[in-house]
Amino acid sequence: MALSKPITEFDTVKAWAEGLRNQWGGDPLVEEPEMLDALVRFCDFVGEEPDAIVGKLFRIRKADGERVLSVKWRTHYADKVKEFRDRQTEGQRWGSDVLSFMIHNGVLIQA
Amino acid sequence: MEFQEVLGIRRSIRYFEPNKPVEQEKIQKILEACRIASCAVNAHWLKAVVVKRDDIAPADLEKMKNPVQANVISLAPVHIYFYGDPGVVNKNKGARLKQLYDYGALNPTHGWSHKFVDEVVYPQILKPLTENPAYPVALAFDCGISACQGLLMAFELGLGACLTAFVQDVVAKYTKVPSDWIPFYVLNVGYPAESREAGGQRPRPEFSEQYHLNQYGNPFPRDPKVVKELEQSKMFTTPARPDNGERRKEVRELARKLNLPM
Repeated sequence: MALSKPITEFDTVKAWAEGLRNQWGGDPLVEEPEMLDALVRFCDFVGEEPDAIVGKLFRIRKADGERVLSVKWRTHYADKVKEFRDRQTEGQRWGSDVLSFMIHNGVLIQA
Repeated sequence: MEFQEVLGIRRSIRYFEPNKPVEQEKIQKILEACRIASCAVNAHWLKAVVVKRDDIAPADLEKMKNPVQANVISLAPVHIYFYGDPGVVNKNKGARLKQLYDYGALNPTHGWSHKFVDEVVYPQILKPLTENPAYPVALAFDCGISACQGLLMAFELGLGACLTAFVQDVVAKYTKVPSDWIPFYVLNVGYPAESREAGGQRPRPEFSEQYHLNQYGNPFPRDPKVVKELEQSKMFTTPARPDNGERRKEVRELARKLNLPM
């Protein structure tokens, strides 16, 4: 699946880059561009763009209008990451990079 | 290692050498440390089931993971599941107290006798306690004391450890524990992949907020001389600090080494 724009132009990828810079210093996505490659491959694997993935991971709770994590979609993507990880030679590393993308977008996830 | 140094080096270790097995005798020593802990009425509510990660089928291990402890249980080669057995009091009916009497730990000097246990302590105090909704709280306190001794023993043996919650229904099915056992925590044990300091001693609330003298609101005085002594005995070690570049570098390297997200 081709992305509709360069990977670094998605808001969620910008948030990821900022999170990584704040946490680790330097510019990890520039220093380790294979992290971006991993996300591109994952997007292709699930047939979705980065913002759409993160968008699905949150929902608005009817009771109080709070933006909360969707357990259903977190389980879905955790399973997808495992599947992605198991199918690729570089899967372990790529899977961790995809989790990093989700974590820096506020998704509590371990897989 | 001296006792105060053990207290000082304990950290919640979350990065383990995944393929370095823990010796059976070290696991036993952890359990032995749990077993000799102080315990109200000598009841010994704490039960533990040791599970070696590599004995678990991959599909079962997957089911045991939750979003906050998956990495820890994946990395730690040994999982010690702690439970409280609420049935011990009514099973023993005071027998362990009478045993303490026979062994000279409880004595008439403090009002103890077999008759007191049989006619008062068990029927009037312990049995009603087991029917009180607050009973699990009482036994949880004792189980915590016991588990803590095991936790400290792990560090004394050069291991790392971290208590986490666990997926109770999945683990109960795996460990086949009795249905009335109360699940507490799992002690994840292994050789640390992170440095012994692990970023330093974690921040704690102010001493004066936590401890009081005679009355709540009257802080227990903290003598700086005592603090100094505890630094010398290594109970107080290098404090963790925010934005610690060295620690971040260490964690980044661990993330890459252990295939964790960074």
